[in-house]
Amino acid sequence: MSENPLPEPIFSSLLDVLIPARSPSLPGAGSLGLAAYVEPRLGEGGSGVASGLGALDARANESHGADFPALAEQAQVELVKQVGAEHPGFVESLLFHLYTGYYEHPRVVEALGLESRPPFPKGYPLEAGDLGLLDSVRARSGLCREV
Amino acid sequence: MAWSLAETRMRIVCLEQGGWMNPADYPSTRTGWEQERFQGAFSLSPNGRGRREDYPINDSDSPIKISNFNAVGGSTILYAAHFPRLHPSDFRVKSLDGVADDWPIDYATLEPFYDLNARMMGVAGLAGDPAYPPKELPLPPVPLGKLGETLGRGFNHLGWHWWPSDSAIATEEYQGRAACINLGPCLTGCAQGAKGSTDVTYWPVAVREGVELRTHCRVREITVDDKGMASGAIYVDAEGNEHHQRAEMVIVACNGVGTPRLLLNSRSKLFPDGLANSSGLVGRNLMFHPYAMVTGLFDEPLEGYKGPTGCSIISQEFYETDRDRGFVRGYSAEMIRGMGPVSTALWGMSSSQLPWGQGHHAAYDALWDRTAGMVLICEDLPEPENRVTLDPDLVDSDGIPAPKIEYRLSENSLKMLDHAVARGSEALEAAGARQTWPEAPLPPAGWHLMGTARMGTDPGKSVVNSVGRAHDVKNLFVVDGSVFVTSGGVNPTNTLQAISLYVADHIKRNLETLFD
Ligand SMILES: Cc1cc2nc3c(=O)[nH]c(=O)nc-3n(C[C@H](O)[C@H](O)[C@H](O)COP(=O)(O)OP(=O)(O)OC[C@H]3O[C@@H](n4cnc5c(N)ncnc54)[C@H](O)[C@@H]3O)c2cc1C
Ligand code: SF4
Repeated sequence: MSENPLPEPIFSSLLDVLIPARSPSLPGAGSLGLAAYVEPRLGEGGSGVASGLGALDARANESHGADFPALAEQAQVELVKQVGAEHPGFVESLLFHLYTGYYEHPRVVEALGLESRPPFPKGYPLEAGDLGLLDSVRARSGLCREV
Repeated sequence: MAWSLAETRMRIVCLEQGGWMNPADYPSTRTGWEQERFQGAFSLSPNGRGRREDYPINDSDSPIKISNFNAVGGSTILYAAHFPRLHPSDFRVKSLDGVADDWPIDYATLEPFYDLNARMMGVAGLAGDPAYPPKELPLPPVPLGKLGETLGRGFNHLGWHWWPSDSAIATEEYQGRAACINLGPCLTGCAQGAKGSTDVTYWPVAVREGVELRTHCRVREITVDDKGMASGAIYVDAEGNEHHQRAEMVIVACNGVGTPRLLLNSRSKLFPDGLANSSGLVGRNLMFHPYAMVTGLFDEPLEGYKGPTGCSIISQEFYETDRDRGFVRGYSAEMIRGMGPVSTALWGMSSSQLPWGQGHHAAYDALWDRTAGMVLICEDLPEPENRVTLDPDLVDSDGIPAPKIEYRLSENSLKMLDHAVARGSEALEAAGARQTWPEAPLPPAGWHLMGTARMGTDPGKSVVNSVGRAHDVKNLFVVDGSVFVTSGGVNPTNTLQAISLYVADHIKRNLETLFD
């Protein structure tokens, strides 16, 4: 983790850009609180993210005269692309943890049509399937090589 | 082995560097279960897990990295329990195809022990597979589910072989084990106890029958007496104290990397190059199964996140040699499941199918529950340059020299991987995939470890004889994948267990003359 906590609200705004709202009832990753999940897992990547966020903030003020979180979504996306190109790894170092945390978040899992629970102890029903599909395979010969 | 020998009433002491696992601690019992496949105490590489029970392995000089687990139950804690047998032809590679060597034993030798192992491990499967001699298995096959049916139809369309996988999974309650409930994440331990890892199959029975299992005891060296017989083992306990356990017979079963490591660490005046190594072959001829993986994207949901990860259906259409393909020997294709929401996202990221930003959700929805994976398990042939040695610098937490892997893919393997990727893609497309993505070789696929103390009749060309006894040391036996002469194109555990039971049977029948 970087020595200083990553600055807010810009970090959560960035996460909202990376994974935006899925529906009116499911906001983006930052608004879902993923910053608290991602930040402690960044390890050495944390300092690169911190400097990327600094660049994002400076660029927002320079080119739009406003802080990054206050910009319109399209302007935010453009800035993240620009800063990402200048700071290789800035975005990529976040994505593994962001995707991991986001896709195990209960609200996201439910939005995919699953119950939000660990697989154990309930498990899942699974169809045995049609073993009659094997009739043509069963009839084949010569697959077991003579020795 | 220990279970089988228990009936002799010999005093049997087993030294295991790991401890008992608690299934209630397996990741599938908690949210966050999916990411634990990739990082932390249940991930595949011993180098990344940070558990004291593991030993480091320098695999930087190999495109295929080692995956294992160290605990009571060993790597079967993590394994997929895909449980095929070798084919009769696998024991006769030299005679049939003019490559490598024939085994000194054959399918018929192992057949009764495959059958016994099926009962002990609780193997599920369907009789009638034309790729094998007839075999009876105690449990009905794992469910095909929608994914298995879809792929089966694809194989039928091409007229290719496929069959429900033999699986060491209790598809019904079996000998005190609960039935599989299709959790999915078998590769981080089975919380249900349905998967036949040996901590729930052989070990409890062996311990009940009098075998003494000492956990958290790491063997540093096998000792010898002045006649060149094994006299016991020096091991380090959990507190770091060293002990010498005397023994009249020593059996090594540390897997294809751990076994040569231990033998090479057991140097003495009589065996300056390591124990049982007069042939110079201890550690050589390391075989993995080079794996390819092809992932297909379908239009329909496949419910692929449900059901045992590695056990669904297998195709052995390209198992036997056909020289027109440009390589010898062949491979199996195994359908895999278990792509939950996180794995789908991470796969989408690594295959550049999942952008961040505005297109993210549409791209994810096109992937979620619509991918099917196929792994292609290629036969590896023995080559002396592929080997396990001792790393000059790396040591484990007890200061014991750690193994180093040197491995290159052969021309034959590279051609076979290319063929496997092409045929795997064709099968997925025939099943309805609208796009496929190959990956070969699959880097973490160093989970089948074979050949490093090979079996044979000639002491100059092999390490152990046809009953697993070291040519050089008459009371030392090896019973794991190290003794494989060739690798076949299927997962090895059923065979290495059958070999253990066969060697144990030989020991029991020949106690009086065993060391002659
Ligand atoms: C992710 C994964 C998936 C797999 N899937 C399959 C599959 O579907 N089908 C299949 O057939 N195989 C599969 N395998 C391989 C399978 O797990 C192994 O073939 C099998 O476990 C080998 O058994 P073994 O007892 O020889 O070695 P292991 O199971 O590795 O056990 C060796 C034991 O020896 C102990 N040990 C080693 N050195 C020492 C020492 N010096 N002192 C004390 N103890 C020591 C270790 O701690 C370990 O517990 C898979 C493996 C992995 C990792
Ligand atoms: S799918 Fe079956 S075998 Fe695999 S972890 Fe779940 S219950 Fe165990």
